[in-house]
This record gives sequence, C-alpha cells and structure tokens, in this order.
Amino acid sequence: MSDSMMITAMTIGYLVIVLLVGLRARHGQTSSLEGYVAGGRHMGLLVLFFILGAEVFSAFAFLGGPGWAYSKGAPALYIIAYLALAVIVWWLIAPLISRLGRQHGFLTQAEFLSACYPTPRNVLGLVIGVISVLAMIPYLTIQIAGAGMLFEAATSGTIPFWLGSLLACGVVAAYVYASGLQGIGWTNLLQGAMMVVIAWALGLTTAEQFFGGVGDMFRQIQSEAPEYLTMPGVGGMGWGAFSTAILVSALGCVMWPHIFMKFYSAKSERTLKRVFMLYPLYSYLLIPLLVIGFAGVILLKDTPLDSPDKVLLTIVVELADLPAWVIGMALSGALAAAMSTAANLAHTSATILVRDVVQFSPRMRALPEQKALSLTRYGVIAISLMAYLLALVNPGSLVSLLLGAYGIIVQLLPMLLGALFWRRSSQTAAFVGLSVGAIITLLLQFGIDAPFNWHPGFCGLVVNFAIFITLSLKRKDASSRSPVESLTPQS
Amino acid sequence: MNNIKGMPSKGMLLYFAVCAMAMVWPGALIANRIDPIIIGLPFFIFWYVAWIFALFIGLVISYRQEAREGADDE
Repeated sequence: MSDSMMITAMTIGYLVIVLLVGLRARHGQTSSLEGYVAGGRHMGLLVLFFILGAEVFSAFAFLGGPGWAYSKGAPALYIIAYLALAVIVWWLIAPLISRLGRQHGFLTQAEFLSACYPTPRNVLGLVIGVISVLAMIPYLTIQIAGAGMLFEAATSGTIPFWLGSLLACGVVAAYVYASGLQGIGWTNLLQGAMMVVIAWALGLTTAEQFFGGVGDMFRQIQSEAPEYLTMPGVGGMGWGAFSTAILVSALGCVMWPHIFMKFYSAKSERTLKRVFMLYPLYSYLLIPLLVIGFAGVILLKDTPLDSPDKVLLTIVVELADLPAWVIGMALSGALAAAMSTAANLAHTSATILVRDVVQFSPRMRALPEQKALSLTRYGVIAISLMAYLLALVNPGSLVSLLLGAYGIIVQLLPMLLGALFWRRSSQTAAFVGLSVGAIITLLLQFGIDAPFNWHPGFCGLVVNFAIFITLSLKRKDASSRSPVESLTPQS
Repeated sequence: MNNIKGMPSKGMLLYFAVCAMAMVWPGALIANRIDPIIIGLPFFIFWYVAWIFALFIGLVISYRQEAREGADDE
C-alpha cells in the first residue's frame, strides 16, 4: 500500500469512528428542543470541558497559529494570550447566564438580550439573529475549506479539495442532524482529546528530529533570526496592535453565540466553573503548534512559503521523515480541530436561524415544539450545504463578512454587562453605544486606518462603553434594578 | 454588584486583572527578551506559559473561595 493510500485509509477510518460515535449519542435522549439545543441543560464536567476546548480551538490552531509564528514570530503569542484570558470573562458572567437561561427558558443569545432590552415586536432579537448567522456561516465555511485543504495536502492529492471538504462537512452534518448537542458532546470529547495528544506529539517530534530538542531549536533561531523571538517580531505588529487585539478578542470571545449558548447547557453553575478552572491547561495545546511554526523559520529559510498557513503541513508531510501512519494521525488531529468547531457552528447557527429569525414572524412563533425541532434539524443540513458550496466558490469577501459581522456582535458586550451588573443601565444608552460602536468598528475595519494601529473592534468598544456609561448616568429616573433583575419569571 | 452570589472576591478580581495586564502592554514589556531560555522556551514565550499557569491557580483559589461562601449560605 502506498503512503498516500495508507494516510487516506486511516483518515477515512477516523471519520467513520467519529460518525459512529456521533450517531450513537442520539440514543437515550428525549426528543425535545431543549434536549437537542442545550443537551437538556444536563451536560457534565468532562463532556462540557471538551466541547468548549474543541470548539474554541478550530482549524486556525493547526493552520493559522503556526502560520503566524512562522511569518510574524512573537506576535503569534496573541492567540494563546487571548484564548487563555477569555476564561476570566466566562468566569464572571457564564454562571449568571446559565441560571437565567434555566429560569426563563432562554436557548439563544438574542433571546437573552432582547428579554433584557425589550423592543417593539422584539426587533432587537431579529437583528442579533441575522448578524450572528452572517458571522457564523463564513466561520463555518473556513473550517470546511480548512478540512478540504488538509485532506488534499496530506494525501498528496489522492483526496481532492472538493471531496475532502465534502467528507468532513457530510460527517458533521449527519451527526449534528441526528444527535444535536449530545452528538457534539461525545464527538468533541474524542476529537478534543486527539487534538491535544497529536499537537504535543507533532511539536515535540518536529523539534527533536530537526534540531535535537525544543531548547536547541530556539537557540538556533536565536543565533540565525533572533528578531522572531521578541516583540515586535517580523512584519511590524506593534505593542498597540498586539495588546488591543488580545484585549478585544478575550472580551469578545464570550459573545460568539456558539460559546455563549453552551452556558445554557451546563448541569449546574458549579460544573461550569470547574470546566473553566481546567480550561487554561487546555490552551497549552497551542504551544507545540507554535513550536512547529517557529521551526519553519529555520527549515524554510531558503524556500519561503507563499501561504504561511501551510507551514505545519509542509513540515509534517514533506520535510519530516515520518512514517505514513503518523501523518495519518496528524491529519486526523487537524481535521478534529476543524470538524469539532464546524459542528458547533452548524448547530448554533441553525438554532439561531430558526428561533430568532424564522420564528420572528408571529405565525411561526406559534409552531409546536416538535415542528420547531425538525425545522432546526433541517436548518443544520441547509447551513452545512451552504457553507460547503461557499467553500468551493471561495469568494474573497468571506473573511470581510466574518470580520464585519463579528465586529458588530462584539459591540453587544457593554449592554450585556450592563444588563447583568448595572442598575443604572439605560436602554437608550445601550442602543446608542451599540450603534456608534458598530459604525466605528466597521469604518476602521474597512475604511480609514485605526489610531495608533489599534484593533478596530477595540476602538469601537471603548467608544461604545463611554457612551453607554455617560448616557446611562445622565438619566434621571434611574431604576432601582438592573435589567436582569427586572425580568419577570415565566414559570 | 457585591450582592450577586458566586462572584469572585475583590482580591481575586485584582489578581485576574494582573494576569491580563502581564500579557499585554505595559506588563509584557519587561519580559521582551530571549534569555534566559527556560524549559526550552525563550523567555518571552515562557512568560506567557507561566502567566497562564498563574491564571489557572487563581481560578482554583477563586473556585474554592466561592464554594466555601456558597456553603455558608445554605
């Protein structure tokens, strides 16, 4: 058997295992919408830990992360810094969101915010829903395209891009359709554990094989290209851009709907806190992957890559003298990162599409629960298919759509924090802050240059917070309760 | 905001803020060098690994504090 056949066979075998685990998870669930969307609010420590870890670390961990280390050097640490710091925000707000979700039956992020800030006909919920879906579909497309690229490179073209991305997308859609969050839970447990083991094995093997160890590798970089190992690295990401990117990403991470909505699924607030407590250790997964990127600084010195994202694949598949089964494992690990995130994105965006967008119309809101559930399942298939087609066409505007839509979602953070913690929060102030913050972010993202090279979203957030706080303080008839305290219990 | 159940103490909030500041400007400025190389990592990279561990320890302490307060309530 040739090497590429062996790699292909191993990877297909891996996909079959993931599929079986995902489909099996549907047994023993009650067929309720809450069960499908939030695991019946009964997810335990182990499964929730791996859901969160595997959804946060996407194809970007195996492709973009090493690519940053290889092409920019030290600024790549921004990725590990913000992914670790994000846990502080989760720690502060997730237990409250989980509790309120249980009390009021919330299943989406838009439902939460529109209950705190009531608008005529609930139009805020619709707007949040539409923008969320617009941010999540490009994100899903990037995961599916990443899977296709991984397949093609690791099997030396035996599995072309279109087939590789179809396989990954099809497996994900099948188990999310069948098993909902339970399917995601068990497959993410498998995939999350694989990612950790494979990342460490690859990172240490690469350093050992080419340099005799991680320390020796960095010493060699120190003598040949020391500029990669300290700020500002290569390519001039200054301290301002680096620091604001870390802060806005750490703060904004919680606003990704697929992360926010997982808070509803926890068995208890204590379970959530245990998950978060262990989470920083999971983020160490990025260290060996960055090591591979740094290895590329020396190994690819004479033949620089035109696409830095391919640095891990180039080193593992072409340069390193690894047996075919190790490459097969490496591919499976990287696919795990892409697919575990893709599953959460498809699941969450289908839920939002049905609950916040389709059911905005009063006629659809009266839909019986079982109808809404099957609509959500078809939504998973429709969204996966759309993302697959987008991956094939690969429109250049995809990343802009992602940045633009997500840039707006992050601007919901001040009003979320206000709703949770601040009695003086004024609804008008929240909407003015949100609108101005979103406009500034979009303007700096696509129009003019941000001041001091700061992150556009950070600039928007600073102005947004300032407006929200100032206008809220000016209000005379301040309520004695914060928006969440004013919620009337439904049951 | 102190009357919300299950929030970290003021001391722990300060600790988390220090962890965040250490990873951005100006906190990270003092670590911006290659030597000494510790556990195989250049100092600037080791700095982040160490602060993530510090963050983990902080979360463990906060968890235990909050669990104890929760027990007092009941």
